[in-house]
Amino acid sequence: MKPTARWIPYFLVAPAFLIFSIAILGPILATFGLSLTDWDGFSTPSFVGFENFVRAFQDKIYMNSYWHAGVYIAATLILEVAIGLLLAGLVSAKRNTTFYRVAFFTPVMLPLVVISVLWSFLLNPDLGILNRLLGQIGLESWQHIWLGDQSTALLTISVISGWIFAGFYMAIFYAGFQRIPSTIIESARLDGASEWQLLRGIKIPMVKNLTEVAILLCFTGGIQVFDLVYVLTNGGPYDTTQVPTTYLVRVVFRDQQMGYGSALAVILTLVVVTIGLIYNKVRTKDDAVVEY
Amino acid sequence: MFKGKKLVAVIASSLLGLAVITGCSKSDSADKILRIATPSLGEKELPVWEAAKASYEAAHEGWTVQFIQQDDDLYSTVGLPTLLNGKNSPDAYFEWAGARLDQRVAEGYAADISGDIESSGLKDLFNDGAFAGYESGGKLSMIPRTRDVTNVLWYNVDMFTKFGVTPPKTWDELNAACAKFKAAKINCFVQGNKDLWTVGNWGGHILSRVAGEALYAETLQKKKPMNGPEFVKGLTVLADLAKNGYVNESVNSIADNEAASQFFQGKAAFHPIGSWLIGTQQGEAPKFKMDFINLPAISGGAGDQNSIMAVYTGYAVNAKSSKKTEVMDFFKELYNAENAKKIADAGTVLLLKSLASGTLDPLTAKINALLDGATVVVAPPDTGFELPVADALNAAQAEAIGGKSTPQAALDAAQEKVAALK
Repeated sequence: MKPTARWIPYFLVAPAFLIFSIAILGPILATFGLSLTDWDGFSTPSFVGFENFVRAFQDKIYMNSYWHAGVYIAATLILEVAIGLLLAGLVSAKRNTTFYRVAFFTPVMLPLVVISVLWSFLLNPDLGILNRLLGQIGLESWQHIWLGDQSTALLTISVISGWIFAGFYMAIFYAGFQRIPSTIIESARLDGASEWQLLRGIKIPMVKNLTEVAILLCFTGGIQVFDLVYVLTNGGPYDTTQVPTTYLVRVVFRDQQMGYGSALAVILTLVVVTIGLIYNKVRTKDDAVVEY
Repeated sequence: MFKGKKLVAVIASSLLGLAVITGCSKSDSADKILRIATPSLGEKELPVWEAAKASYEAAHEGWTVQFIQQDDDLYSTVGLPTLLNGKNSPDAYFEWAGARLDQRVAEGYAADISGDIESSGLKDLFNDGAFAGYESGGKLSMIPRTRDVTNVLWYNVDMFTKFGVTPPKTWDELNAACAKFKAAKINCFVQGNKDLWTVGNWGGHILSRVAGEALYAETLQKKKPMNGPEFVKGLTVLADLAKNGYVNESVNSIADNEAASQFFQGKAAFHPIGSWLIGTQQGEAPKFKMDFINLPAISGGAGDQNSIMAVYTGYAVNAKSSKKTEVMDFFKELYNAENAKKIADAGTVLLLKSLASGTLDPLTAKINALLDGATVVVAPPDTGFELPVADALNAAQAEAIGGKSTPQAALDAAQEKVAALK
């Protein structure tokens, strides 16, 4: 049915467009506008052209923050996605695994800030349980300033992230495994396939789409990681766990460099959008996957 | 044509609706609202402010006092700029004296209140000398609130007694005391520098003592390079404490409150932090016995070896506000003797005549005596100077105390960061 008047479609779209403009388009344009200024939040912004962008690409801390985010993403691909996949394989291979599924998923339900604070207590170098435990079992040499040593801080954050989100990916993959027709699984079992062979040869290939989504989530989530890093290390020690978001917050909120911070935000947005576009480009090339 | 008119009408209606939703209307009663912005007052002090508000409103018919409270960190960073740039900007607002106040004055957000504070009688409530440090460009620009010492060395009294250590007056005596505690496998210092400002204050004070206050200020004002020999020498004094094993190894990985907890648990002899530790101790470890010394004299230092590091806070009057008289009247109400005593009981000692030292707890009185007797007051890097510059120095101090870089290398990196700033 066609609308009786030409303005009706515009009228119907107007509320959504207004909300989109106010909530998304406006702030993006405003941020881009601010990125071309030198502004401390109080005074009148002064136009500096692309100076902030040039500075950003010369800023070692900011550039290194992408490297840190990359390391974090690489680590979490293993600690979250791969382990999540293995956990899903384990819980789907056995019956009566509700307890394990709930246990693995529980950290996902807790607020990240709460988890981060709990882990910072556990890992406190002087009073934390982990170091105390190591001392009590005679492993004093293993005691370590986990979050205060530049060689272990980022890895420790990645492990904590894995502990939290492996359960999330497990839930996704487990749901995918449940959708595989039982006839296929039973046939393979009759042919003598072991649980490992079932996982490797049937289950994982049949949830390929889910794996791709998980990897995308891992990438986009990793580049935007904030809460964990902010609470556990605040980018330290010596900026070795600084990721783009924590550095952005430092520049804007602590140093009050709104113009420069806006430029960093624009670059971060472009990076995230680029990742999404590359993912879409790669993914559309291979659509011949059987979806169950 | 008619359809086009309809479309225009629809768009106009939408915009009008949007204007109403987003509050583009003007309130008629706005002129009689006195807005005061402040970081969170805390549950003990807020009732005193509420009482002052009630008294003021009763005495000034038709007027309403509005407190705009924000979380401390939010307020000190993006909160205040947002408020001042907003449509209903505050008439008076909490601020830190020093570079921040100078910036507000330069930007036209802080009025000269020299005449108003005198004519209103508010000035008479304050101690003699209470206004020193609250000027900008020679003009009084703030109603004083408190002066906080941001770096003294708090020490564990019982531990000192147990090991027969007397409070050190010189750096050599400090090193000797630390050697004694180290031999007993006790950390001489515990500090939590996860957020960089704690060592920033402590190290900043050492730098000012070694390099001299003038060079310290000029360096943080970007007039002198940060990696000059005097700063390197000063940072070496700090780094040597860690090098000698006198500072907790976890210094850069724990937060200031965690360090305070360890100090209260007897894990270290000294804890370098500001006067606010008194309030923390009263709340968290009331039985813990502590005292403080000012930073000991560093031999050969170019600065005043009795200097203190302190921050002055108060309320600036918005230069864009037409309610200077009302602001003065409100603060006269808030700062009367009865309210001042209640605010002191809540942990904040105002610089008022009505608060004689005898009414304060001994440590607070001792801090006040230190402030009153100070001949040279040094501003902390993060409240007295530009934040990105302070940030660069604080990061260098963290690297030096953590043993990540030599003082020279850490300050070279800091200078590189400062040079990149406009």
